[in-house]
Amino acid sequence: MWNYEKRLQYPVNITQTNPQIAQVIISQFGGPDGELAASMRYLSQRYTMPYKEVSGLLTDIGTEECARCCYP
Amino acid sequence: MRGNQMEQIKLFQWINMVSFAVNDITLYLDTHPTDQNAIAYFNHFRQMRTKALAEYEQLYGPLTIDSAMPEDKWLWSTQPMPWEGGFC
Repeated sequence: MWNYEKRLQYPVNITQTNPQIAQVIISQFGGPDGELAASMRYLSQRYTMPYKEVSGLLTDIGTEECARCCYP
Repeated sequence: MRGNQMEQIKLFQWINMVSFAVNDITLYLDTHPTDQNAIAYFNHFRQMRTKALAEYEQLYGPLTIDSAMPEDKWLWSTQPMPWEGGFC
């Protein structure tokens, strides 16, 4: 069902490494209230959403959140 | 060569622009499925995106599997990902 593109939705150009900021970002990505958890939440909530328009929207937003694997 | 890369970056940025438009109007149309202006907007940018992706594939290689048209070599897996030196 899913597909990927060799392209980011928003350009990321890292000019210098920063371990402290990296720690925050990785937690925002995979941590307890991170993007990965959010994507799975959207995608599982879509099944019980009674309005077709909104379950469709949840599918698209959940998919978009999954894309953060490549640009947290 | 340098000029060539400038062209590639320009086309790549264009793809990013039209793709964002398609992405954004998709979310809007999910909840407004009969908005005629939005449908026209979607069709317009979706067409531009498809055209740009095909052009990019021909010149530099595929960005989506749907636009991949390999001739004698499979580039999909051998060309770099955005974080491996591909563009972003």
